[in-house]
Amino acid sequence: MAFFEQEIHDAPTTFLSKYVFSFDHKVIAKQFLWYGIAFLGIGGMMALLIRWTLAFPGEAFPILGPLLFPGNNGVVPADTYAMLFTLHGTIMIFYAITPILIGAFGNFCIPLMIGARDMVFPTLNMLSFWLAVLSALLLLASLFTPLGGAAGGWTSYPTLSTLIGSPGIGQTLWCLALFVLGVSSTMGAVNYIATIITLRAPGMGYFDMPLTVWGLWLTAILNAIFLPVLGAGLLLLTFDRVFGTTFFLAGAAATSGSGDPVLFQHVFWIFGHPEVYILILPAWGIVSDLLSFFSRKPAFGAKATALAMTSVTILSTLVYGHHMYSTQMSPLLTQSFMMLTMTISIPSAVFFANWLGTLWKGSLRFQTPMLFSLGVVFVFGLGGLTGLYLATVSTDLYLHDTYFVVGHFHYTMAASVLLGGFAGTYFWFPKMYGRMMNERLGKIHFWISMVGLNGIFMGMMVIGYAGMHRRIYNPFVYEFLQNLIPLNKFITFSALTMGLGQLFFVYNFIHSMYKGPIATQNPWEVGTLDWTIPSPAPHYNFKEIPVVRCGPHELGNPNLVGKDFQYQTEELVKA
Amino acid sequence: MNLFLNFFMKYFVPTSEAATNVGFFEAIKPPIDISTNGHLIDSLFMLTTYLILFFFFFVCLGIFGFSYLYSKKRHPKPFYDHGTSRKQLALVAGIGALVFIMVDMQITTISNRDFINVFLNYPKETDPKILRVEVLGQQWAWNFRYAGVDGIFNTEDDVVTLNDLRVPVNTKIIFQITSKDVIHSLYFPNARLKVDAMPGRISRMWFELTKTGLYDIACAEMCGTFHYRMQSKLTVYPQAEYDAWLSEMQTRTKHVTELDNADLYWGWQWSQSAPKTLSKN
Repeated sequence: MAFFEQEIHDAPTTFLSKYVFSFDHKVIAKQFLWYGIAFLGIGGMMALLIRWTLAFPGEAFPILGPLLFPGNNGVVPADTYAMLFTLHGTIMIFYAITPILIGAFGNFCIPLMIGARDMVFPTLNMLSFWLAVLSALLLLASLFTPLGGAAGGWTSYPTLSTLIGSPGIGQTLWCLALFVLGVSSTMGAVNYIATIITLRAPGMGYFDMPLTVWGLWLTAILNAIFLPVLGAGLLLLTFDRVFGTTFFLAGAAATSGSGDPVLFQHVFWIFGHPEVYILILPAWGIVSDLLSFFSRKPAFGAKATALAMTSVTILSTLVYGHHMYSTQMSPLLTQSFMMLTMTISIPSAVFFANWLGTLWKGSLRFQTPMLFSLGVVFVFGLGGLTGLYLATVSTDLYLHDTYFVVGHFHYTMAASVLLGGFAGTYFWFPKMYGRMMNERLGKIHFWISMVGLNGIFMGMMVIGYAGMHRRIYNPFVYEFLQNLIPLNKFITFSALTMGLGQLFFVYNFIHSMYKGPIATQNPWEVGTLDWTIPSPAPHYNFKEIPVVRCGPHELGNPNLVGKDFQYQTEELVKA
Repeated sequence: MNLFLNFFMKYFVPTSEAATNVGFFEAIKPPIDISTNGHLIDSLFMLTTYLILFFFFFVCLGIFGFSYLYSKKRHPKPFYDHGTSRKQLALVAGIGALVFIMVDMQITTISNRDFINVFLNYPKETDPKILRVEVLGQQWAWNFRYAGVDGIFNTEDDVVTLNDLRVPVNTKIIFQITSKDVIHSLYFPNARLKVDAMPGRISRMWFELTKTGLYDIACAEMCGTFHYRMQSKLTVYPQAEYDAWLSEMQTRTKHVTELDNADLYWGWQWSQSAPKTLSKN
């Protein structure tokens, strides 16, 4: 199936060409992984500062507070609070999840799993990473500008994000940072799409690809279509800020002609809703594969799962209006968006049924990646179902912009994606570094994370239903929120627990990199192409391009001798 | 369960004095519903919850049940099956259809009905009993404007208040809302309603309140550093008290208010066009 065979160049010898400006997809994947984990730490710290402020308004953040805010007795100031939740959202979405799930796993898994020697455009791949670095520098630089970083929320609605609401240069740098990141991700996306189309190993049809690759592919397609939309919106916003145009200004502020702030919301959510699926699709793919691998039986209805993911991808482009019910769009639009949003539950129900069907009559091994995958099924079940309240117009009138929304989208975008990312990390770590991660630490990490994040996000939904709205520095100035103080404290303690639990992961990751037991070629005993080569994956992956003869989930065939799985390079044994 | 949670909240989570004597299930209740239509939202919320719990129960049954039944120890030989038989496909498609029919169509229908027949069904403005209020959001306060004696907005006898909305009970109230600077969102937790206040646009909302008392109004859309302080008070009076207050305010507008106070001049002619809906009744 491959259109051509990539040449093998000599391995790079200097430090710079080997580890820094590398063309190798595996090195770039690791670079993205470290980049993402670093930002995950920063974004997580911001989340803790936010949570502390909500539970203990007016009290100094322990230990770090006096260092960070010496002028305010260690208490997070109100303007910094706005900056914190803005950057927490931005960093987690664009600088942590995107690099880990798409940058790292996309780069690492796609060539290995489709039997290619590298991405089809290695230089573009490298450029994509270094543009992401440039974007990160722009974002971090925005923190040190006179009026501080962006503080208009990650959605940056005008006119708050124009000069009226945020006069500082920080917001401009934020726009530019995201613009550059959009360029970087688009480059990556184009690369993934082209690689999957042109470099699949001979014999590998689209439905012979592992579902991980399906997820990453659909993500890349959404990225390539919709990131330019965000780029356009941000560019117009930058024009409004820098050149005095009035695309998004209206009312008293529009001194020359009048634009419309709601226009930005349309542009933003045309991108923003697919973005949700951009983040979750790789996790769905990884989970679909891992459930099959660790149940030791073929993925139940793999083709249906792939097609369901495809239909979610298509539907995701048609539903963005449910983020904007409270702007009083034409009721015709409101109703149409509600109906379209509801239809997403059909393909979602299909792959949920398939996931459970995969577990059914399997022989389940509860190794760390499996635990994390089961965790994803659980939290995404909760996250997906609670979306129904928000897709429904009349309940959304009450719940819009409350913590219910925050809880819901953290369940889908944070909890599911994070657990999916961890599942992938534990699973492919041996192929990345040639060593195994510690199982016991991994399980401790899983249970702490699971308890912690359910405490946080379930708590958030509960306080949201009780009426607490989003993005407020001190909720308890309101009388109707007085009763929620204990619950807010509970959420904060859950968050601290979860934050501390990640130390197990960090220790496990770094320790295992150098001291972990040496991994065999195929420690999980699965048959996809990435496990047919030695661990860690050698320079240019495949000496001989493999020929694919069966699907990726051929496990548990009773007629197999000596092992219970088949490599994709082997002729299918009749059952 | 309740007992356990109360115990947990009381001893495990350090509490402040204000909240110690409120039980867990008391604390997580939404604010008291004071409007004629808030129960529509609450009941749809509860219905959705039951439907969701029904399906989530099966997801959990699958995850935990299969994990128990088919662990490696208990079930060493996996069943080699691709899940592609016609029966299995029909089952999966059936589950999809079941979710759509049982959940989506139900709540979409109810929500559509409420949205069109109630929340967008603005009362006739010719009715003299209706109270009309103009609302202007600004960083970080809500301004309210009553038409005054002449019944016409944007004239000098308008009653204008800051962060202080007083309305009579059992009267339909229509709001027209906009913003001076950035996008705000007028949020009545006790009426379960909110609508964005956007510069350059007028948005609308209506409700009727059934309980007198003092309640909170908030801004739900991030609008800058002091977003959390954009708090107003809603006072719901019995009709007689409201009339007394209004006539006092009207006299004050004429005799006490300084006419050169620039903060008073922001109103607009009451705009008549109502949003179009899919079905008219």
